[in-house]
Amino acid sequence: MTDIEDQAFPAGKEDEWLAVRCQLGERAAFDELIERYQGPLWRYVRRVAPDEDAAREVTQDAWLRVIRGIGRLRDPARLRPWLFGIVRRALMDRLRDQYARAVETDCDVTEIPARVDSALPELQLQQVERELAALPIVEREVLTLFYLKELSLGEVAEVLNLPVGTVKSRLFRARQMLRGELTAKGELR
Amino acid sequence: MTAAELPPGISTDLRRLADAELSLPSRLGHVALLLGAITMTIIVSSLWLTEAQLPVRTRIAFAVMIVIGLSWTAFAVWVLTHRRILLARHRIIAGRLAVTFTAVFALGALGVGVATGRPEALSAAGLGTMMLVAAVALLIRAHREFSRLVSRRDALAREIGR
Repeated sequence: MTDIEDQAFPAGKEDEWLAVRCQLGERAAFDELIERYQGPLWRYVRRVAPDEDAAREVTQDAWLRVIRGIGRLRDPARLRPWLFGIVRRALMDRLRDQYARAVETDCDVTEIPARVDSALPELQLQQVERELAALPIVEREVLTLFYLKELSLGEVAEVLNLPVGTVKSRLFRARQMLRGELTAKGELR
Repeated sequence: MTAAELPPGISTDLRRLADAELSLPSRLGHVALLLGAITMTIIVSSLWLTEAQLPVRTRIAFAVMIVIGLSWTAFAVWVLTHRRILLARHRIIAGRLAVTFTAVFALGALGVGVATGRPEALSAAGLGTMMLVAAVALLIRAHREFSRLVSRRDALAREIGR
């Protein structure tokens, strides 16, 4: 059981070192950047995009923006949320209609239990993977970014350009929806 | 295949993308285009400003050439700031190119102006000198930024034991 406030992911000096080398123009650093982040970014895109072809297009577009934009990254220590933010903008451009249809029903942060993970104590990664596709895009996205351990809560807020409280409410709602899906299928009691 | 697995070929595609995007010749080509376009604009402007009795047709021709020169300049600047972004190392190479090119141009125009007394050559030398000053300033700035990034890179490398 993990306290949502305390969940931390090491941003790491490695990321900053990599970003600075890219900003210097070291060709090998771009290969290392691709090697390190192609997996996490692909998993995010693939879980949010409707199919593999769309995911490939978004991935290519996002990496193009990364290569063209990394010289302007002001704080190289923020490489990870910056990368996911770029991917999110590429996703939004590609899936504009789906994002526009997403209903904004963020609930009051004060209603959320302190330990949000306790809502789904026995949830397994494979179960989440399987049921994510059934969720609306906004909930699918926030669960992908946070629950699948790519980013910390603060970084998710930065990527989504939302206050931390709103992210918490979305996470809470997304987990409730996921729990509903799993309960309906008898995988959770 | 699950969402967690990378599809085959995507790594190769991304590396190809990086190769194409980070091509140095393409960047330097656009730097050369920028310098050439600015030079053409300066020469034509100098001719226009220093010739008092130009026929209307010539003035129109000069105006069109200046517009073309400015358009190419704007295009090259746009490419270098949006498509073929100059990273720290590229900026130093581009800065050195610009200083060399503008110095040769300014000195050449000055030499012609002094030898022949032609006012358009002296005017071009003046504008060329202004370009040279701007190029030197950009090169100094590029060196400072490069040094700052190298210091940060080396400090980080020591911290993480690289």
